[in-house]
Amino acid sequence: MVADVCFHDTLIDSASEVFETMMFMALEKISPEEAEMAEDTLLSSITFTGALEGCLAICCASQDAKLIAANMLGMEPEDDISMEDICDAMGEVSNMVLGSIKKRIADAVGEISVSIPCTVSGKMLDTSLGEKSNMTEEFVNLDGSLVKFQLFYKDN
Amino acid sequence: MAKSIMLVDDSATMRKIIMRTIRAAGLSLGDIQEAGDGGEALEKIGQTPVDIVLCDVNMPGMGGTEFVEKLRSDSSYDSTKVIMVSTESADDFISSVLALGANGYIKKPFTPESIQQTLEPFMS
Ligand SMILES: [Mg+2]
Repeated sequence: MVADVCFHDTLIDSASEVFETMMFMALEKISPEEAEMAEDTLLSSITFTGALEGCLAICCASQDAKLIAANMLGMEPEDDISMEDICDAMGEVSNMVLGSIKKRIADAVGEISVSIPCTVSGKMLDTSLGEKSNMTEEFVNLDGSLVKFQLFYKDN
Repeated sequence: MAKSIMLVDDSATMRKIIMRTIRAAGLSLGDIQEAGDGGEALEKIGQTPVDIVLCDVNMPGMGGTEFVEKLRSDSSYDSTKVIMVSTESADDFISSVLALGANGYIKKPFTPESIQQTLEPFMS
């Protein structure tokens, strides 16, 4: 049952798995009060349907997204990395984090199928999924970068 | 002779990561091709066959499952090894693509060790 899942832990554990395994980056949870998002952000989102329906959104400052992309690509943050590559890298992060969430909730919730990720950049980006959806939000410090994870979901 | 390889993934970042990880694992490679989905992969393999395909599952256009099915329906590619690389980790799903003719499976996120362990038997 959906009620059996602690989405906060699931979100943090899944994000940790991806960042530690693929990027050797440690992640530290921070309280929402301490978290002040930058104005220029990059938002990567990926939707899912099935036993549970919703969307995972990952948002961070554009310069921090570049840092994450550099880490994934084995490059230096001051290297020239195109916006296309940064968006692609962030999309793949959301794809892997959702994959990890999917694995962790499969027994309690059931199977979900996952879309192709989409990443956009802009000012003060936000996501929502209608009134009847639930939302779990976590802020983390990722080697000095602030990253916001949001999981929107509706029970089907 | 070093094996030729094709990386099929809609994410260019992921293709680069896989490539870097293979090199870091000390596996030596021959020619390398890349494709963004199953359709492009089939087209390129039709022109230049490869020994090993590392293939994502979730891609726009032709996904990994359909790619394996199509490749295996043509006996001229019987010797081509296909290893899936995916965030999909359900045992039932993995069994189903292996039954379709994939030769191995790597779960994302992966470690250099998991890439090495899965790929090594096909490299010699
Ligand atoms: Mg993909």
